[in-house]
Amino acid sequence: MRILDIIRDANANLLRNKLRSFLTILAIFIGSFAIISTSAIQAGVNGFIDSQVDSYGGDGYLAIVSKDSFDALEGAQSMIGSGDGGPIEYNPDKKQDGMSPITEEQLEKLKKVDGIDADSIVEQKTLSISYVTSKETDKKYLIGAEALPPGNVKVDTVSGGQLDLRADDYQIVIENKYVEALGYTNDSIINKKIQLVVVDQFKRTEKIFDAKVVGVIAPGVVSMGYSYTNNKLADDIYDENTKYYPEEYKNRTLAVAANYDSNKYSADEIKEKLEDIGLSAMTIEDIIGTIKTFFDVILTVFKIFGFIALLAAAIGIINTLFMSVQERTREIGLDKALGMSSVHVFLSFSLEAIMLGFWGSVFGIVLSMILGNIANAAFHAPGGFLESFPTFNLVIYTIQDIIAVTALIMAIAFLAGTLPARRASHKNPIDALRYE
Amino acid sequence: MSKVILSTRSLRKTYGKRDSKFDALRGITFDIHEGESVAIVGKSGSGKSTLMHLLALLDKPSRGEITLHGRPTAKLKSRHLNTIRNKEFGFVFQSFFMNPNDTVLNNVVLPLKIAGVGFRERRRRAIAALKTVELDDKRNNKANDLSGGQKQRVCIARAIVNDPKVLFADEPTGNLDSATGDKIANLLFRLNREKGITLIIVTHDQELANKCSRQIRIKDGRIVSDSSGEFEPDDDGDEEIDEIVGDNNIDGMLDKNHPTKHIKIEEGENE
Repeated sequence: MRILDIIRDANANLLRNKLRSFLTILAIFIGSFAIISTSAIQAGVNGFIDSQVDSYGGDGYLAIVSKDSFDALEGAQSMIGSGDGGPIEYNPDKKQDGMSPITEEQLEKLKKVDGIDADSIVEQKTLSISYVTSKETDKKYLIGAEALPPGNVKVDTVSGGQLDLRADDYQIVIENKYVEALGYTNDSIINKKIQLVVVDQFKRTEKIFDAKVVGVIAPGVVSMGYSYTNNKLADDIYDENTKYYPEEYKNRTLAVAANYDSNKYSADEIKEKLEDIGLSAMTIEDIIGTIKTFFDVILTVFKIFGFIALLAAAIGIINTLFMSVQERTREIGLDKALGMSSVHVFLSFSLEAIMLGFWGSVFGIVLSMILGNIANAAFHAPGGFLESFPTFNLVIYTIQDIIAVTALIMAIAFLAGTLPARRASHKNPIDALRYE
Repeated sequence: MSKVILSTRSLRKTYGKRDSKFDALRGITFDIHEGESVAIVGKSGSGKSTLMHLLALLDKPSRGEITLHGRPTAKLKSRHLNTIRNKEFGFVFQSFFMNPNDTVLNNVVLPLKIAGVGFRERRRRAIAALKTVELDDKRNNKANDLSGGQKQRVCIARAIVNDPKVLFADEPTGNLDSATGDKIANLLFRLNREKGITLIIVTHDQELANKCSRQIRIKDGRIVSDSSGEFEPDDDGDEEIDEIVGDNNIDGMLDKNHPTKHIKIEEGENE
C-alpha cells in the first residue's frame, strides 16, 4: 500500500466521525496552546533580558570592587533591610565603614589573572554632570551618565547606532526620556549635538561638553536611567570633575569593569580567583539573575500545566482510537483478508493518532500566535503596561519552538496511538469478519 | 482436465485446549483443479467455513497440509500469504462487508489499493470489473444506496478486480431473495466459465450447490461425499470422475518438486 493512500485514508477516517475527532483535537489543542504560549513568553522575556544583559557587556562582564568595599556594600544593604538575615556586626579589621579603593598592586595582579581579558579592564568612573540642555530648549535637566562597560557591549537602542568607544570626538547614547525634553524625536536627535554642562563644586565655573547623540536607549530595567558615553567624553568629564581634588584622591579607583572568558571559566571559578587578590566581582547574572529566575519559575509552572493537559489529551487519543478500532473491526478484518499486512494496519491507526496530534498542535499554535500578537499590541498601546518598553516583545514565536512543540505533540500522540494501533494490527481477520 | 491448484492432505483443525477441545476438521483430503466450480456443502457447524478459511490461507491448520500450485503453504511468511490472498484470491461474503459510506468505485478499488497499484491504473481496472458485473453506471453512488443484489455484485467486482485465480464465496446468496440469488449465482458461474476463475462456494443451499461442477459434502469435520456421482448421475458427475482418474497422470508431470504420484484421491475420505 502506498504511503500517500495510508495518509489519505487516515484523514478520511478522522473526518468520518467529525465530532469525536474534533473533541480529541480540542483536548490536544489546549495542551499545545499552553506550551507554545509559555515558550513564546519565555522567549520574549529572555530576549528582553538578554538585550539588557548585552547592554551591560554580555556574558563575560564583571563588576569588580575591593573586597572591603563589597563587605561595606553588604553592610549598607543589611542596614537598609534588603540583605539576608539580621544586622552585621562591626569589625574594624574589615573596613566595612566605607568604600575602599582598589590598589595599584591589585590592578596589576588583576591584569595577570588567567581568564581575565587585560585589555578589557576599564575603570568605572562615576561622572558628575550638572545638567544637560540643547539648542532646542531653554530648560536644563539633571542627567546620570557613565562610560560604557568594556567588551562586546550592545546598547539596546530604539534609534541610531552604537558608540565608537575609541573615537576622538564626544559621543553619547542617551536615555530616551531626554529626547522629547530636549526638543527632538527619536530620529531627529541622532547626530545632533547636545550640551553636557559640568559646574565645579568649589569654584562654580561652568564647562560645556558638546556631545554628539549616536543613539537613543530603549527603556529597560538594567540601564536604570543611565546614559552612556564613549571613553574620550568620560575621561574628559572625569578630569574636569577631579580637577581641584587633592592629588591622592585623583587616582582613586573604586571600581573597575572587566571581561572574562566565560567559555573557559565559570563565574564562580573566576570569582574565587579574584577573591585571592582581595577583589570581589559581580556578574550580570548576579545583578539581574533574580528577575530571570522569577520569570522562569512562573513559566515552568505554566508549562507543566500544558504537559498535564497533553497527558489528558493523550488518554483522549487512546480512547478515541480504541472506539475507532472497535467500530472498524470488520473493516480491519476485510482489509487483512484482502492482503493488508499487520504493519500497514498498525501504520494507518498510528497515522490517525499522529494526525490528531498534528491538527491539535497546529490549531493551538495558530491561535496562540493570533492572541499573543493581539495581546502584545494591546500592552504596547498607550496605557498598556508595556507602553514604556517598546523593545520588549511579550511573545516571540521561534521556528524552533514551533517545530519542537509540533514534533513533541505528534510524538506523544503517536505513543498514545500505539496501544489501539497494536490491537488493530493483531486482529485476526476471521474473528474480525465474524464480528457483528 | 487441468492441473491442481489447491490441495489438502489430512487437514485437521482443533480449537481450544484439553476439556474445551473441539475438532472442527478431522482429516480432509482433496484436490481442486483449475477452472472447477466446487461447492462445499454442509450444515452450520459442520466445519465448512473453517475449511474455507484454511483454503483461503486466512488460518493455519492444526495438522495436515495445504498446497497451492503444488507448493506447501505451511512455511510461507505472512507477508507472502498476504500477497497470495491479495493477488490470487477473491472473496465474496454473505453480508457483503463493504464500506457503506464510500462510493462503489472506492469499494471495488480496495484490493488494488492494498496492492499499491497507482491511482489511474486501479480506477481503470475497477471500472472494467464494474462493467463485468454491469454496474459501471453506479460507480459514483454511495455503496449504502444500492439494493442487496447490487451490493453483492459490487462485492463480486471487488473480488475479481485483481484477476484472481480462485474466488471464494461464503454463502453468496444467503442474504438475497431467490430471484436475485439466482442472478448472482449465474454471474459467478459466468465468471467461472468465461474467465476460468476457480470457484469455491461454501453454502448450505442445495440448489446453489447443484449448479456447481462438483460438490464436497462435509459433516462433523469429515467429507461424507465428494463430487458425488450418486447424487448427480449426469454428465457432470462422469466428467468429474474422469478428471479424478486422469489426475494421477498429470500430477507427476506437473509437480516435479512435489511428487504426489502415490497420493490417490480417496472419494469421501473419512478415517
